[in-house]
Amino acid sequence: MKICDYELYKAVYCGLCKELASFGIASRMTLSYDFAFLALLYMAVNKTVTEIRREPCMAHAIKKTSYVCHSDALQFTAAAECISVYHKIKDDIEDDGGIKRLSAKTLFVPMKKPYEKAKKFYPDLAKITEENMSLQHKTESGKCPSVDRAAEPTAAIMSAMAARISDNPEKKRILARMGYLLGRFIYLADALDDVEKDFRSGNYNPLLLQEGCENCNLENIRKIARDSIYFTLGELSNAYVLLDDLMYKPIIDNVIYMGLPYVAEKLLRGEKISGPRKHSPAERNEII
Amino acid sequence: MSDPYRVLGVSPTATDDEIREAYRNLAAKYHPDVQGKGPLADIAQSKMQELNEAYDKIMDMRRGGGKPSSEYTQQSHGGSSLFAEIRRQIQLGNLAIADDMLERIDVDRNAEWSFLKGSVCYARGWLNDAYHFFSNAVKLSPDNPEYRAALSNMNSAKEGKMNGDNSPYGDKTRLCGAGICDTCQLLICADCCCECMGGDLIPCC
Repeated sequence: MKICDYELYKAVYCGLCKELASFGIASRMTLSYDFAFLALLYMAVNKTVTEIRREPCMAHAIKKTSYVCHSDALQFTAAAECISVYHKIKDDIEDDGGIKRLSAKTLFVPMKKPYEKAKKFYPDLAKITEENMSLQHKTESGKCPSVDRAAEPTAAIMSAMAARISDNPEKKRILARMGYLLGRFIYLADALDDVEKDFRSGNYNPLLLQEGCENCNLENIRKIARDSIYFTLGELSNAYVLLDDLMYKPIIDNVIYMGLPYVAEKLLRGEKISGPRKHSPAERNEII
Repeated sequence: MSDPYRVLGVSPTATDDEIREAYRNLAAKYHPDVQGKGPLADIAQSKMQELNEAYDKIMDMRRGGGKPSSEYTQQSHGGSSLFAEIRRQIQLGNLAIADDMLERIDVDRNAEWSFLKGSVCYARGWLNDAYHFFSNAVKLSPDNPEYRAALSNMNSAKEGKMNGDNSPYGDKTRLCGAGICDTCQLLICADCCCECMGGDLIPCC
């Protein structure tokens, strides 16, 4: 990836952060690279050209950062993020103990307003997210042993969000498939990130309950999880090659062919991806 | 039909070899052997067709002839009429109906049953289950090319192959290749070894 591509990716991330501020201060704290990628995909498919400005950034004190200006892409992604984060927090409060629950509780009230605002823009997305989160709650409390089914709700949410990117029926189908697989990847990555912790604590994690994982050690569990991850990436690439006429293709190529496999390999080696993926691509040498 | 050169992504001044190369690259992405029978199979197929037509047209224009070497033809499938109906439902995207029909068959769950069950899972994005059923289909009927193609597709994904990945970096696990750190470490290591043997690679350390 060239430096200018990397700069643009960062500018999208920062632009999204500023856009989130229009939904409410709290939502700014929830930004992740997953959604920056969604914004970039939106811009790539719809060929959004936006101005890049330089301004001091709240998070970096007085250091100036580049960011892309307001656009449909950012507005949509910011709303999608507010919806998804709000339901994630709600879910954490319902089923998690300890620190996660506490931090979820602190964020819950301030996230209410951004969520309501986003819901007004995209009521259908809010509905799909809500339905799928309750499905997720069911799979988790029922200790579902199937990775496919456990990943389904997250995948279905991302699928619905990605499908909104284009109005062209053919592109919509391709994006829906990509979104599904991206969501599946995100779910698997999160499960893999938690696998060691859950292995010790005995909390639900579908990777621990897979067939052939009974009485396995962590290394073997990761080995079995590897296949699920790479099936997902392979199928994602099959959908992606059908999506032609993209702007910013080098950046998207980079995320799909290098960033995602890099994250996967790191997690499969048992290394931590800390926090809600907030690090800049430079620090982690990859992008998601 | 749109400009055939655009379809191939080459300029009208491209040489025959360049056109063949572009054709091969795109065909490798869209080919049904690679794309499998997922929910986007029809899109891939129409892109493949468009590509074939564009290639033919250019070759016709250039010297009146020349067929693409790997033109794709739709395969026909045998099997019972119930399975044929299930196939049709899968193709139409009616996965719940197809799955329901499959679940009702409780005797004689043969290779084709496994394959179709795998196809439903595959279309849903339930890739782990899909792999399981495709493997089963191949086990029951090892010579069937359709089942084998579906399984081998998933096997190449399993090994980390991604469609359209032309990255020159090869091994993705090391995104930055041999970075500066690696190079320095190697040099320092080499220096230490040399020093052990009484020599010196880097005189200052």
